Amino acid sequence: MAEATRKDALRYLYEKVVDPLGYKFTPDEELAEFLLEQEVKLEQDHGAPFCPCQGRSGVRAEDMQIVCPCIPYHREHFDKMKRCWCGLFVHKDVTDPDSLPQLPPDEL
Amino acid sequence: MAGSSWTATVDEAKVREGSPVAVYPKGVGVLLVRLDGEIHAIRNKCAHMACPLEGGSLEGSILTCPCHDWRFDVRSGEFLDAPELRIPVYATRVEDGKVLVDLTEA
Amino acid sequence: MANEVFLYALSTCPWCRKAKQWFADNQVPFDYVDVDQLTGAEQDAAAEKAYELSGARRFPVAVINGEVVAGYNPSRYLELLKSGGW
Repeated sequence: MAEATRKDALRYLYEKVVDPLGYKFTPDEELAEFLLEQEVKLEQDHGAPFCPCQGRSGVRAEDMQIVCPCIPYHREHFDKMKRCWCGLFVHKDVTDPDSLPQLPPDEL
Repeated sequence: MAGSSWTATVDEAKVREGSPVAVYPKGVGVLLVRLDGEIHAIRNKCAHMACPLEGGSLEGSILTCPCHDWRFDVRSGEFLDAPELRIPVYATRVEDGKVLVDLTEA
Repeated sequence: MANEVFLYALSTCPWCRKAKQWFADNQVPFDYVDVDQLTGAEQDAAAEKAYELSGARRFPVAVINGEVVAGYNPSRYLELLKSGGW
């Protein structure tokens, strides 16, 4: 199925981006699969694998900063949470992703 | 370290200031970019989702990928928004009017 | 006094689903909107409202008795519901 293939491709591409940044895929495999499925759909419908938990503004310069993996554009925030906003990626030392907060930067 | 691997590509005259040229030495996608007379060579593949960079926009030494706007310095290959990520760059020289690229990553 | 809970969500976001589930499991009546499931002006209005409330485009955004909670944050939900007499 094309979607499954694309999902695998995204995994392969993302791994190479997030690893040097100190992140890995969440060990919550069910969550990772769900998020990747959403991204494949978002890419089909809107042209890019946007973050499934962030909304687009319609301004390209802003929207490109929420294309997965969006860690480079929100580094300080995500580093404090040890995860990205949607939780697809966590810091490499994280084994229990459910213990991590999902908070805006000013509340961390 | 592996030895150098100089491979001839296009005529030097074809690489004009600020107009990236896609070449394929030994099948490797490389983008030649002339800046202030000097020719830089960078892998023609974005570090994000492997998009070809040749349709991107160039401002000074900064090349913006046409797919999702990831920005790279063509001189170093460095991704502007996270220095841990970079695209391979290659040494170049001109010989008998041709641009040679050393495919050994710089 | 009854608590008033409204949730701005995206259908693609698992944390928005968890937030809905949390309110349901705790039998807290709530209204919600999946912003991405709306269209046209309705979608723009809901997206702008969530942005205005939270100052960002990150989801979920819960509004509990007028207080805004950005992100899936059950302990904050509980705190606000309790102060609302729950």
